[in-house]
Amino acid sequence: MNFHETFFILLAAIIMIFSVLVVTTDKILRAATYLLFVLLATAGLYYWLQYEFMAAVQVALYAGGIVVLIVFSVLLTHQIHHKLVSITLTRKLLAFGIAGLGALVSIVTIVNYDFNTAPAEAMKVDVRQIGLHLVNTGHNGFALPFEVVSILLLAALIGAITIAKKEESNSDNI
Amino acid sequence: MQSELLVLFFVLGLILSGGAIVFSYFIMPHSFNATKVEAYECGIPSKNNSWSQFNVGYYLFALIYLVFDVEIVFIFPWGEVLKEVGKPALVEILIFFFVLALGLAYAWKKKALKWE
Repeated sequence: MNFHETFFILLAAIIMIFSVLVVTTDKILRAATYLLFVLLATAGLYYWLQYEFMAAVQVALYAGGIVVLIVFSVLLTHQIHHKLVSITLTRKLLAFGIAGLGALVSIVTIVNYDFNTAPAEAMKVDVRQIGLHLVNTGHNGFALPFEVVSILLLAALIGAITIAKKEESNSDNI
Repeated sequence: MQSELLVLFFVLGLILSGGAIVFSYFIMPHSFNATKVEAYECGIPSKNNSWSQFNVGYYLFALIYLVFDVEIVFIFPWGEVLKEVGKPALVEILIFFFVLALGLAYAWKKKALKWE
């Protein structure tokens, strides 16, 4: 087992352990913290695949943005100090059965699948390539989607403000 | 890719920071009293649970932050090739910024940036 494989197994182990902890912990804020570790390990996985930019995005957006949002929304609720009600045994068994079935299907599919290596050389995906495609207006260019993204972000911003912001008339009872 | 160095850095960081904690645990005097677990050890005794509902403003700021966080993701690759591509890239980012500035203006107008 070489270094490359060890690195993957390490990251996969971190992701699996903390994923299980996210759903098994009975405190919601702890679940959010475990989710942070899962997302960071996923960033490590992207780095392992040599998608350095994707790894950076994963850390900045998911670990930095989404988790902060989740933590804030958790802190906004009234009942954060309440513990989760314990799950009944039938439900646990049912969940284990379904999860096991899903795992079985996945494993059987992966084992039976005939993996062929493509003869073409792997495409280089670094920040420069992404940038070149992003501003390219010609063939294989993504200039229009790039501009559409700004419209999408604008819509998201307006939507967020509309939902989260209280109206002027009843703002005095915050 | 020199991920060996990254792992070495991670492990060394773990040893250095974790080692300090473990070492101090062994040499510190062990004593316990109830005051030690309070939030402010030498202040006014805390009245109730520290779990309380936060101001909704935090959530709004987090949402706005997230939008501009996504924007940054697109600006980094653009910045990488700006010199290479030149004018077209500049025009594209100006359109991009203009649309997002509209969003910022909207947030400003709706007083979403104001803390209350």
